[in-house]
Formats: sequence, structure tokens, C-alpha cells
Amino acid sequence: MSTGTRTDHAALFAILSSLADNKLAIGRRYAYWSNGAPALEAAVAAAAMTQDELGHARTLYPLLDDFIQAEADPSQVEPMTRTLNYALAYLDNDFQGWSDFVATNFLMDTALTTFFEAAQNASYEPLRQRARKIVQEERIHQVHGEGWVRRLAKAGGAVHAALVGSLERLWKETLCWFGPNDDPTMQQLYNEGIIDATPDELRSRYLQKIMPTLSSLDIEVPVSFNATTKRWELSQPLPWDTWNAVARRLG
Amino acid sequence: MSSTSGTSGTSGMTPESSAPARRETLNESRVWHVYARRKFEEPLHEIGNVMADDVELAKVYARSIYDEFTWIEMVIVPRDSIVTVIET
Repeated sequence: MSTGTRTDHAALFAILSSLADNKLAIGRRYAYWSNGAPALEAAVAAAAMTQDELGHARTLYPLLDDFIQAEADPSQVEPMTRTLNYALAYLDNDFQGWSDFVATNFLMDTALTTFFEAAQNASYEPLRQRARKIVQEERIHQVHGEGWVRRLAKAGGAVHAALVGSLERLWKETLCWFGPNDDPTMQQLYNEGIIDATPDELRSRYLQKIMPTLSSLDIEVPVSFNATTKRWELSQPLPWDTWNAVARRLG
Repeated sequence: MSSTSGTSGTSGMTPESSAPARRETLNESRVWHVYARRKFEEPLHEIGNVMADDVELAKVYARSIYDEFTWIEMVIVPRDSIVTVIET
């Protein structure tokens, strides 16, 4: 328990809760594959990434105790007693196959990293410190995700189909995680200098990161390249009618 | 996105399936020798190898597997690029 003065910031408390829950959920899902990957080398890499993800969650949960919002139910700031779940619905169940691991690595983990990149100069120091370290550690995760998307896509047949299916099931929820552009939570973080981009700008930065790989492999997603702005842009609306703004997940 | 969907039961893609099936589905055939050193005054020396057809994945694997020391340099060399000079 913190003995100092607690901060009153519902928006930051909400985002930190979501970041921690997603990191924990990713770590737990990765862990299952630490001895089940298609090759020994991949299993070792999965184990290393599991440690990283659980470590990120471990550094984020203690921050929640610094907020007044934690006083309503102190059990919710401890991962062992927390009953709320602000992780993506996609992470609720065990991965159905290695392609779910790869899709999570490539899509969801990269989306969270896009947020942390935007928080590297955050006015809230504890997040700034963690964001810089997480971004550094996530570089190798991104290389791993891109590499495995290439491997599965080029394998063809059922393996390629499994990858596309996994990407498809995670696609919309990942893009929604940044929130609609008028999301009051993210907008408050932006206006207060905690992140340096609006939800739409975060989503755009994210698309510029993942689209070169998907485009080079002819994996079709509802994104088009704007020749004028030289940027990838979403070509279909996101399902905001099923978006849960509190839990930051679909359904 | 294409209409293809579903991942369960894909041969060689689930943790319960046999190792030979996985290797057959995603066979890694390229061997990379891993060299590293801990001090600038040391030469690079071979510390092991990894198998990966993708060079970027080979780099990830080398870093993940051979992380027992804080190396100042690590390189990987594809086995098929090595030219034998003497062989007895």
C-alpha cells in the first residue's frame, strides 16, 4: 500500500489497468507455448517473450495503487486478487494454435508498443520510465512477430489459412483498443501530455508499422495506401457499436 | 481480409500434435553458427548454432538462446556459406 498522497486521475488509472491486464493475459497465453512451439528455437524465444510480458505487467500493476481510484476496491490493484478483466476478449481463452500466438505477437503486442512509444515523454514520470524500457525490450518481439508472419504466410496451404484466420479474428479488436478518436480517456491523456498522439494518430502510426509486412505478403486487410499522403489508412469503419469503453474490448 | 477462417485442428499447429508433424509443416533447414565475445580484447568464438530459414528469426533465436552472458558482440553465419579449406 502506498503511504504517500494518491493521484486523482481516472483516465490514467483506466489505461494503466488495461495495459497491465493485456500484458498479463499475453504473458499467460505465451507461456502455454513455451514448450509447444513448432521448433525448439521458437519455444525458447516464446519463453523469453513470456518473461518479458509478465515482467511488463509486474511493473504496471503497482502503479495502480498510487491512484485515488484504487481506494474504491483495493483488491483490484493486485493481479492475484483482481477480478476485473480489461484485456482483449481474444485473450480470454487459450490460443487455438501457434498462429494465434503469432497474430497476438504481431498485432496486439505491437499495438501496445505503439502506445508505449507515444508515452516515452509522458508528463507522468512512472509511465515515462516504464514506456522507454518496454519499447526497448519490444523491439525483438516485433522482429519475432514479423518473422513468423512471413514464415506462416509463405508456408501456404492450411498454415497460411490458419494465420489469416488468426489475424482476422484479432484485427478489429486490436484496432479498437486505441479507442474512437473522441475517446475521452485517450483524449485526456493526449491533452495532458501523457501521450503525444490522439487515438486516430496512434492507429495510423500502428498501421504504418504493420502494413509493410502484410502488404509484402499479399495478406488482405481493409487498409489502403493513400498515394498523396504516403500513408496506410483504414478503408472500413470499426465496430464501435460493440466496443466496451470501460474494459477497452469488444463485446 | 480474406474470408478464410479457423485455426483449430490445423495439422502441425497445435501444441498437442507430434514434433515430427510440426517439423514437417514448418521445417527449418538452414543452420546458422553463432559467434560472440564478452570483451573487446577477446576474439569472437563459436558458442552454438540455431536453425531458421528466416535471417531475422535466426537473430531472435540466437539472442534468446545464448543469453547467458552480457555479450558485447554477437554474429551469426550461415553454415552453407562456410568454405572448407582443410578436411581430414
